[in-house]
Amino acid sequence: MMQIISIIRSIIEPDHPGQGITDLLRSGFDSAMLEFAAVCMPGELENVGKPYLKRTRYSAAAEEPKQLAGLMKALTEQGRTAGLTFPIAEAPYAAVDTRRNDLADRLTELALECIKICGAQGCGCLIVRSPKAAVSPTAEEEESGLLWDVYRDFYLTLAQTARENHVTILLENQCREIGGHLVRGFCADEQEAAARVDELNRSASERYGPWSGREEQEADGPGPRMTGQPDNYFGFCMNVGTCNLCGQNMYDFATALGDRIKAVVLRSCDGSSDASLLPFTCVKKGQPQTDWLNLIRGLRKIRFDGCLIMDYADTAAACPPILKPQLLDLAKAQGSYFAWQIGMERMLERYSSRVLFGAGNMCRNYMKDYGAAYPPLFTCDNNKALWDTDFCGLTVRSPEALKSLPPDCAIFICNIYYREIEAQLKDMGLPNPIVYFNDEYMPTFYVDRLDSVTRKYDGQI
Amino acid sequence: MAGIGVQTKNVISDEDPSEGFRLLKKSGFSDADFSLNGYLLNTDLYRNTVNKFFDRSITELEDFFAPHKEAAKKAGIAISQMHMPYPVYIPTGKKEINDYLWNVVAPKSMQICHFFECPYIVVHGFKLARYLGSEDAEWERTKQFLDYLAPMAKEMGIIVCIENLYDSIGGHLVEGPCCNVHKAAARIDDFNDRYGAEVLGFCFDTGHANLTGIDFESFLAGLGARLKVLHIHDNDGISDLHQIPFTFTKTRENRSSTDWEGFFRGIRKSGYQGTFSFETAPVLSAFPSGMAADVLQFLAKIGRYFEAAAGC
Repeated sequence: MMQIISIIRSIIEPDHPGQGITDLLRSGFDSAMLEFAAVCMPGELENVGKPYLKRTRYSAAAEEPKQLAGLMKALTEQGRTAGLTFPIAEAPYAAVDTRRNDLADRLTELALECIKICGAQGCGCLIVRSPKAAVSPTAEEEESGLLWDVYRDFYLTLAQTARENHVTILLENQCREIGGHLVRGFCADEQEAAARVDELNRSASERYGPWSGREEQEADGPGPRMTGQPDNYFGFCMNVGTCNLCGQNMYDFATALGDRIKAVVLRSCDGSSDASLLPFTCVKKGQPQTDWLNLIRGLRKIRFDGCLIMDYADTAAACPPILKPQLLDLAKAQGSYFAWQIGMERMLERYSSRVLFGAGNMCRNYMKDYGAAYPPLFTCDNNKALWDTDFCGLTVRSPEALKSLPPDCAIFICNIYYREIEAQLKDMGLPNPIVYFNDEYMPTFYVDRLDSVTRKYDGQI
Repeated sequence: MAGIGVQTKNVISDEDPSEGFRLLKKSGFSDADFSLNGYLLNTDLYRNTVNKFFDRSITELEDFFAPHKEAAKKAGIAISQMHMPYPVYIPTGKKEINDYLWNVVAPKSMQICHFFECPYIVVHGFKLARYLGSEDAEWERTKQFLDYLAPMAKEMGIIVCIENLYDSIGGHLVEGPCCNVHKAAARIDDFNDRYGAEVLGFCFDTGHANLTGIDFESFLAGLGARLKVLHIHDNDGISDLHQIPFTFTKTRENRSSTDWEGFFRGIRKSGYQGTFSFETAPVLSAFPSGMAADVLQFLAKIGRYFEAAAGC
């Protein structure tokens, strides 16, 4: 079951979390990502061990990782009391352009501390970015692949504690910086990322024995568990914004990693500057600058059902506080929209028989990609001129024909006037399930569209 | 010593090709990338407009290009790579145009390449992923086209080179065909195994790779000996500008924002011994025409630097 999760940055103040928690819950989010960077920011890590620099209230954890739990205590306790869960967390990380190369021990301590807090909170996944501030590779090291040796050791150092706390560590695709230009970095190559996750799982199993989930071990854990996703020492978190910055084919990315993907971070940016903007808000000339089509195609193909993390931290930071509740409403609606789109085929599977409402392009697209696997009994349309004609292999009938359907046969609305048609069907008193179908992100497309007047089309692919 | 080359576009004129080839030689180039694509512009094709250039018989085309071939030879410039007109398929285009591109432009391009005794011709893969659903399905269509060209390539001793391309999502340039090195390597090997000859290779385009954040080093290393030709140019990581390497920076430190060090390491790892060819025709329209010779000399010097840095 896909979980729609909100970030907390710019939403919840860790030392004054009440209002943010209430806002999230009111918007329908029942879970949030425990972002340890909220109390141990990249900038703080950059200044570790430099006492002459100005300290902030969040310098403490960077200097002393054991302080992490205390800094998150108000958030976790008040969240749990209010009913907000934390199914996934993210460890502190260094800035993409960090100049530090001496933080190996500090990053390890922080990650271990995060794992323990996750264990105590019943949080099953922890995203841990590569410890780039641990090393400053020479060209030779980079060339000979020694960098991965360093990173592999870092991740394997976390494995035993992760197992003890039933926390799956998620690697994440990252950028690296070349003179201010963000390009593909650690785990940005999907084949390489998949191989690394597999290698880490093999090595961890050899060292510490096979992974065992919490489910079979305990029923009295301190917090609610997420459903089923963590199934090994290591998994993967696909960061959509990072893929977008690197201009990647997200269909290929998702399908290459397959069920290793336990979480997806949904965020928008212009593909050049790193930002966490609400999806669909970064546009140019009316077109989104993120390849949502390939993302949804890929996640639908792999039947993704893990954590869907809405990351709109920059949008939230720029949003007037008075409007934040409405922003959260929109973010939640977007999360539900993505979950719906990704799960479109599972939705079709849910019904043993079905009819369509609409005999236009959406019906045509349905029949192209899903007609064979999920054949409708017929389609219907309000246009009388189409009644008793054939369209894409279906007979077009009057909506009155719906009255003779068995009650468990679902009616899929294949027309953008969803609400109008839904009201029409409800007015008819039909007992059947009424379901919205949508063809915005289909597995394939025709090159042409049906002409609504001539009812002709002639695609040549 | 590796060859240093540049596009003929904006340098070589049909009226007097010898002048341009002499200029290239004088500027320090040894090679040229013949811009056959300049005779059938992609901008026209996307408007469903096709000029009559390729209506000529192959004899007429050879007659047309004979002065170019002669001038290059006389100036001591090798036509070591060529660019086929592109696109070779327009998804929303008229059927007769797509048939013409496939059945007329492509084979005649191969014959012109052969006429120039040019060993490599660069082709663009089909951009169909949106309609067909995946890059793999898209490749199947490109593969049909390449299978059409491969027997000609084998007979003529030409290696057809596929190139890493981009696509546009709301003006944001993202990876298009042939941007996955693992797939590219396997596909090239498959072709060459099936034809029992080297009929397919790769053209690495530095500018396109920079736009799509590709790791130069691992991509080039992954290609190895499949890498046959280069399109070297630079950009800001946002637009396909085809400008002079090292000229783009994004921070106050003013370090190059393109990973040229990774490029050199990758070239070394690939074992590449071919030509360092610049695809920088727009530079010549950006600089005043009076500076064309200086700009070309500068590019050739960068080419020599590349050759040394990559250890060729």
